Amino acid sequence: MTFQLAAFALAGGFLLGIITGLGRLSTRKWIFYPATLYVNFFRSLPLILVIFWFYFMVPLIIGRPLGDFLSAIVAFIAFEASYFAEIFRGGIQSIPQGQVMAAYSTGLGYYDTMRHIVLPQALRNMVPPIVTQCVIIFQDTSLAYVIGLKEFLRRTSLVDARELRSLELYLFAGFVYLVFCSIGTIASRRLEKRGFKR
Amino acid sequence: MIEIRNVSKWYGDFQVLKDITEEVKQGQTVVVCGPSGSGKSTLLRCINGLEPFQKGEIIVDGVSVSDPSTNLYKLRTEIGMVFQRFELYPHMSALQNITLAPVKVRNKSKKEAEAKAMELLERVGIPEKAREYPANLSGGQQQRVAIARSLAMEPKIMMFDEPTSALDPEMIKEVLDVMIDLSKGGMTMIVVTHEMGFAREVADEIIFMDEGRIIERGTDISFFQNPKSPRTKDFLDKILM
Repeated sequence: MTFQLAAFALAGGFLLGIITGLGRLSTRKWIFYPATLYVNFFRSLPLILVIFWFYFMVPLIIGRPLGDFLSAIVAFIAFEASYFAEIFRGGIQSIPQGQVMAAYSTGLGYYDTMRHIVLPQALRNMVPPIVTQCVIIFQDTSLAYVIGLKEFLRRTSLVDARELRSLELYLFAGFVYLVFCSIGTIASRRLEKRGFKR
Repeated sequence: MIEIRNVSKWYGDFQVLKDITEEVKQGQTVVVCGPSGSGKSTLLRCINGLEPFQKGEIIVDGVSVSDPSTNLYKLRTEIGMVFQRFELYPHMSALQNITLAPVKVRNKSKKEAEAKAMELLERVGIPEKAREYPANLSGGQQQRVAIARSLAMEPKIMMFDEPTSALDPEMIKEVLDVMIDLSKGGMTMIVVTHEMGFAREVADEIIFMDEGRIIERGTDISFFQNPKSPRTKDFLDKILM
């Protein structure tokens, strides 16, 4: 459950983040302002609040319950997208304007320039912050606990209620998080080194 | 080929271009010189629509650049541009740098584009560097790849923005030789440069810009002996020494 949630949050947040991040760089006001508003809005809220909101408010709006797993996923995607958007904006802005001009001067359009020139270079610069964000997402999935989702920490506490061995159980839970996050961090370091070698 | 009529441009309150008028005929090479900040690069970027201007008109090959109905992407395929800092794509080999636009924009097959790219690398004298990444090339080689990249679109016009200013002295010649070749081959060119040897050899017209204005123009370097304004004289003394 934890992995599923993290994977969905990552994939969805990443995609929505690219779009929002590009929106933040747009010169068109009707794209720029909504994107900026979105990012600033979600970045100034605690995740736990967003999870509650989607759990309690979305069913009111659409008129039927969403289910705890789905509502957690939607909350995570919406929330993480705002963080990914800022990572993308930073990464894209780190690419010199001259690269874009060079691409445009050969007749390439906006899409091809982003797809072949800017994003490949920007992604390379963005590997460290993206991995950091992944690790955070993985840890944050534990917050879905509050809406009763049986993710890893919730299960730990359920077992605890039965076995009454809090110390061992929570130490074990901590160990599991540590192992998976460390794997992520090490993988990113590898990836980074390879990136620089080209 | 290029007609610039009374063009003015502002960045906020600051006027970068002041009533620029200039004509470049087919096959001509025009050299633009002047101190930094005089608006030379901005003028080039206005010609291919990379930057907007507020007043006047620029007509390239019969098409008005500032007309909202003009397809700037299409226009830019006709105008090659070479930059001071080369701006090769660092994550692509020399060959990929050259073939990207022909494949994506002109819908050429990869094979066809690569054959053309090799021909161009041959022309700029470094066919053996096709598979190298920009980081492994010298400045002069990078700039020659950049020229080949522009030529791959078979443009009608080539613009150079201080193409040799970021190069070590021993590499300047290899780039200038390629440009001289192009000019003599009948390419229409606008070159921002302070290489007066180049200007002397191929320029059909030389213009001198300062503070957003064209303040001197001549068909050869004669005005260098007799500059009209003290500002030109001062500048020329510095670059000619």
